[in-house]
Amino acid sequence: MMTASPSISNIPPLSSPIEPFSPEPLRWVAEDGRPVRDLPARYTPELLRELHREMVRAREFDRKLVTLLRQGRTTFYAQSSGMEATQVGLARSIRVGHDWVWPYYRDHTLGLAMGVPMIDLISQCLGTNSDLCKGRQMPHHFGSASKNFVSISSSIASQVPPAAGNAMAQKYLGTDEITLCTFGDGATSEGDWHAGLNMAGAAKAPALFVCENNQWAISTNLAAQTASPNIHIKAKAYGMPGFYVDGNDIVAVMEVCGYAAEWVRAGNGPALVECLTYRVGSHSNADADAEKNYRTRDEVNSWLARDPIARVEGLLAHLGYPVDAEERADLISAVHRAVDADVLKAEATGQPDWRIMFEDVYADTPPHLREQAAFVRAEQEGQK
Amino acid sequence: MTATQDRSAQTGQAQTGETRILTLIQAVTEAMREELARDDRVVVFGEDVGARGGVFLATAGLQAEFGPRRVFDTPLSEASVVGAAVGMAVRGLRPIAEIQFADYMGPGFDQIISQAAKIRYRSGGQFTAPLIIRTPSGGGVKGGHHHSQSPESYFTHTPGLKVVMPSTPYDAKGLLKAAIRGEDPVIYFEPKRLYRAAKGEVPSHDYIVKIGEGAVRREGTDLTLVGYGGVMPDAERAAAALAAEGVSVEVIDLRSLVPWDRELVLSSVQKTGRAVLVSEAPRISNFMGEVAYVIQEQAFDSLLAPVGQVAGFDTPYPYVQDKVYLPGPNRITAACVKALNY
Ligand SMILES: Cc1ncc(C[n+]2csc(CCOP(=O)(O)OP(=O)(O)O)c2C)c(N)n1
Ligand SMILES: [Mg+2]
Repeated sequence: MMTASPSISNIPPLSSPIEPFSPEPLRWVAEDGRPVRDLPARYTPELLRELHREMVRAREFDRKLVTLLRQGRTTFYAQSSGMEATQVGLARSIRVGHDWVWPYYRDHTLGLAMGVPMIDLISQCLGTNSDLCKGRQMPHHFGSASKNFVSISSSIASQVPPAAGNAMAQKYLGTDEITLCTFGDGATSEGDWHAGLNMAGAAKAPALFVCENNQWAISTNLAAQTASPNIHIKAKAYGMPGFYVDGNDIVAVMEVCGYAAEWVRAGNGPALVECLTYRVGSHSNADADAEKNYRTRDEVNSWLARDPIARVEGLLAHLGYPVDAEERADLISAVHRAVDADVLKAEATGQPDWRIMFEDVYADTPPHLREQAAFVRAEQEGQK
Repeated sequence: MTATQDRSAQTGQAQTGETRILTLIQAVTEAMREELARDDRVVVFGEDVGARGGVFLATAGLQAEFGPRRVFDTPLSEASVVGAAVGMAVRGLRPIAEIQFADYMGPGFDQIISQAAKIRYRSGGQFTAPLIIRTPSGGGVKGGHHHSQSPESYFTHTPGLKVVMPSTPYDAKGLLKAAIRGEDPVIYFEPKRLYRAAKGEVPSHDYIVKIGEGAVRREGTDLTLVGYGGVMPDAERAAAALAAEGVSVEVIDLRSLVPWDRELVLSSVQKTGRAVLVSEAPRISNFMGEVAYVIQEQAFDSLLAPVGQVAGFDTPYPYVQDKVYLPGPNRITAACVKALNY
């Protein structure tokens, strides 16, 4: 049996009605858009409209980039479609630009919602001169110092121990910042994941670990990933609360993650939140055809029917502020225009040339790299 | 093996019987299929190798054919994949573990260097871990540094591991079979940009390619070009370009780094007097440094020029500049010309 509050003595009692270790994902809004709990006053129609706009923007950003990929203008894409409530909600749960984020590769919607300019994300995907990361990584491996959004590594769960360390430094320096660390469900099988949570727990570091549980890790379902019934109960082993939330309900995500973030900020130690959502698209463009081998269309359709954007629209309609078709269409075409404009702007900056390879390897340039750069220069000049 | 069989293995030509044209990845799959059928102790596992058939489809169809008891997905943990392979091997299975990309060997590294590599030695030979870690490596697929690296030198630097990398379908099948039937842990790198680009004849009959033997891809008298894995087609292109200029280049594919075919390389260099070593891994502590060392130590008197090296640069593998990073035929040709004009 799951207990309502953690029985482990070193987890401070929670003063709020938000319960850790709930057997079912916490939810504020039902799939049809009706509130199932009292809606806190801050969810005004204006705020809900704003959240809706951000989710639609993220969805259309995905669509547009998949189109760019098909046109051969980029090389890789990992959609976050279907996960917008989790990622937009998360951005609203932290103090953007103050707190620190160690994200993973499927977090471009989180980045957008944190206010990363769209052109920065597009430039990274295209690897143009306007890319803050200088064209060094494949698409979706973004980073932005101005948002304390740390450059993403592909290596699954490798961000988790550094996030613990980032939080330990925040504590050491006496800041009131927290560290948000995100990852998928698959990531929770890696040793680094467990080592990082354990370290953060032992150090009582202000880290908020958030699992974006979209139920698949490429072709591996959660049931094959772990014998645990869910992810958040693993928090018990590391002496921290684990929250379970409906990741397709943006109100629930903001309530639970917002609460957990402030609980962490108050010095109680780290927390883990599991947002239950679904990867409605393929894992990446490399996976598109193979998907039919490991999951059924029916399963995907059942989750498409639980769409997080439709849920906000349902809530708005329930509150008497429906989003009409025309408004939605305008919203969508505005995003498309914005993406098109930013793509052109980014492409116009050109691609970094060979010199970029030899920069940022070290703070200085050792002689052997100067020699190798000179070699390439001669080679390039010889080819002209 | 008879002498003629040996020779045919070296040139990558099948000597008798039926052959088909396969891609390198098809040859890898076929080797696993045949070994799964031959030996009940063989199991195949890793991330997404089951229903998905692996992200490159190297294990496509194997789970359907042999069932999930023999071919199965694991949780997303390279430490568990490799560590479990060690335990299975110690207990009598013949595990073939897939690491999805060589770039993700990292989380499994400790299991490879502390357990797989040392269990025979530390137990005085009482316990052994005959296992295979198959992994796609190398660049040229626009994958940025986490999908393009060539980490073989880390493993050649760890005694107790055998390290191989085929560049032809024939060798891919024969080396994998030899690894499965051997008694040691083998790190089996698959040059991913050749998965479908490399096509060649593969016999239907059972054969192995002995680990530790190189192959002469092209005979020549003026210079010895030594490579392995993904750079081999470019090395052969460079040799062909030089042949058009009247230069005779001998091309050697090492196929196996630990152990490597010193005799083949040394006898070639003694004949040609010049050597250029090609790989795409970063230059510092590159395995070819060992080859160069042995050449200067054992064939110093034959050398007409310093041993040349073409390698990756000492930077992380870049994304947009991956064409400049990779040694292509022009860079290889230029290194040969430099050695010839010394
Ligand atoms: C250490 C490591 N191993 C393997 C991979 C290859 N890989 C990329 S994504 C992925 C699945 C990740 O699943 P999950 O953590 O659930 O995140 P999702 O993609 O579902 O958002 C795998 C195995 C990797 N990137 N890093
Ligand atoms: Mg997942």
